[in-house]
Amino acid sequence: MSGIEPHQSHVRAQVLVVGSGAGGATTAALLAEAGFEVLIVEEGPWVDQDSVTPFSLDQMDRQYRSGGVTVALGFPSIAYTEGRCAGGGTEVNSGLYFRPPLDVVDRWRRDFRIQGLDVDDLESIADEVEQAINVTTVPGNPTPASEILRRGAAALNWRHSEIPRWMKYPAGGDAVTGKRQSMTRTYLPRAFAAGARMLVETRVDRLVDNGLNVTAHVTYGDGTGRTPGGAITASHVFVCGGAIQTPALLQRSGIRSHIGRTLAVHPTVKLTAKFADEVNVPDDVPVHQVKEFAPDLSFGGSASHSGLVALALTDEWRTFSTAIEDWRRMSIYYAAITSEGRGWVQHLPGFRDPLVTYRLSHRDREVLRSGLGRLALLTLEAGATEVYPSFRGAPVVRGRGDLATMQQRFAASKASVMTVHLCSTVPMGEHRDRCGADSFGKVHGAERVWVNDASLLPTAPGVNPQATVMAFAIRNARRFIEQQQPHRPHRSPGATQNGAQV
Amino acid sequence: MRSVPSAPLVGPFADRLLALDFPALEPARREQAIAFAIRRVDGLPSVMNVGVVLIAMLFRIVLALPGNDAMLRFFARTPLPLLGEYVRLVRSLGYAYIFETWPDTRPDGSSPVGASAITTSASASPDPGTVE
Repeated sequence: MSGIEPHQSHVRAQVLVVGSGAGGATTAALLAEAGFEVLIVEEGPWVDQDSVTPFSLDQMDRQYRSGGVTVALGFPSIAYTEGRCAGGGTEVNSGLYFRPPLDVVDRWRRDFRIQGLDVDDLESIADEVEQAINVTTVPGNPTPASEILRRGAAALNWRHSEIPRWMKYPAGGDAVTGKRQSMTRTYLPRAFAAGARMLVETRVDRLVDNGLNVTAHVTYGDGTGRTPGGAITASHVFVCGGAIQTPALLQRSGIRSHIGRTLAVHPTVKLTAKFADEVNVPDDVPVHQVKEFAPDLSFGGSASHSGLVALALTDEWRTFSTAIEDWRRMSIYYAAITSEGRGWVQHLPGFRDPLVTYRLSHRDREVLRSGLGRLALLTLEAGATEVYPSFRGAPVVRGRGDLATMQQRFAASKASVMTVHLCSTVPMGEHRDRCGADSFGKVHGAERVWVNDASLLPTAPGVNPQATVMAFAIRNARRFIEQQQPHRPHRSPGATQNGAQV
Repeated sequence: MRSVPSAPLVGPFADRLLALDFPALEPARREQAIAFAIRRVDGLPSVMNVGVVLIAMLFRIVLALPGNDAMLRFFARTPLPLLGEYVRLVRSLGYAYIFETWPDTRPDGSSPVGASAITTSASASPDPGTVE
């Protein structure tokens, strides 16, 4: 990739963007196109999309933090995943697209005192994003596992729809033929075309503001510390490492006020449903979702290759193990909730990674229970012959008559709870008792440091947050450009638009 | 703090646990699954890595005591706080690897006749499952 720079001991840039996911890539592209000298640093490697099987162990090794084994501790602990590669989470998620929910955005504006938040403006940015990443529905057939969600919801007369994705399909192509329009295919190439440069496999350990600019102390390589580190000096820094790494970096840099104290997620519980026919598609996920009980509760489908089916059965393996022989007739589904609970991200001195905790509320546990029950009902209505809920002590559900027993035995503390939507660790707004950053992402109390990723969303939005993250990132980047234009040194025509000057 | 190498602690426990859960699994496959579990534990976030290694030390001691087979069976079946999470972690990693790499493995670990050479593209996961 043409924009990637070799590691060097000292690098200068006008604007340093830490992280290259939905927030970082869009920020970098907009600032570079406005003429700023931009350097992007990414902790993970650049991985070409076509070189990896989606949702595989190989992908987890190469593109997920800690191989995908990351947990927010609690009762129960909640497994989560973070992308750790060029493009961040956009390279590894399912590509489902939801516009920013305007009622939620309006609530954020009021409750967190976000100034200059124009809903129409956000809608217009969403239009722009949808064009840039090619948001579209499947022109051909959805997967059988997706059709099951549609069929079950239709039988129950529950609200459901096909969720568009940021994908490109060949004419008339089925769901599995789509090519993800992630950041490595959209905003990062745009940033490079406008002169931005990128350092991959580069971790920012801490930021030091010396009064005139900010120095980022970095480690190169695989993170073992065996490779010599370096320093990057920049006039402005945008931290876009996601809702776990962004607060951790700020805390390591001595910035702690309202940072990392309000982690919000959408906890999910899951089940595996078995059908008469083969329904398993190992390397794609369903595009249908059921929103009858939204925003409190939503149903969707998960990646379901054989290893994941085995994993979903492990909570009650003694009872469920024989089902694994039929994995081709099985698919995994989830119930996701909007949680009232909150978590913490805390840097601990001497440790490289932060401690992450999360506490479900009593209401969250009850919604998870009812969600799993309703999800089981939906799969039965769609024709499931057997349903295997993922919690210790779960029964095999073969008909409506088993649902009461299942719900009676369920406890969130016995379930495999996980999440992928991590938000709200540096909430934005002028409410200084609640917010870590101002209405446009500038960190309160810091002169040269901005945040521009999912950390800024004041609460979990109740839907996949990527579109909301991108819309806010573009809004905030434009504000920065407007404010800096009068002070920005003019770049002479013909000058090399290098994001990094060594 | 860097990751603490876990092979001497996690390896023997994973070996016994997977042998108990999958008595008919070929030893070579079990070794591959154990190597995978060790690699993942070594790559855990540093705070988790230290916690897991501490619990693994405890289990290493248990495995050296007389009557350890009975104790292993007890721990494998009883979801104790913290200790049970360690068992669950090792088990999840092992199962995910085994069934993604050799998807036709039977519940006792045996392979269908003639299927021993069949593998997938060699990958599974602890859980990227829900991937919105």
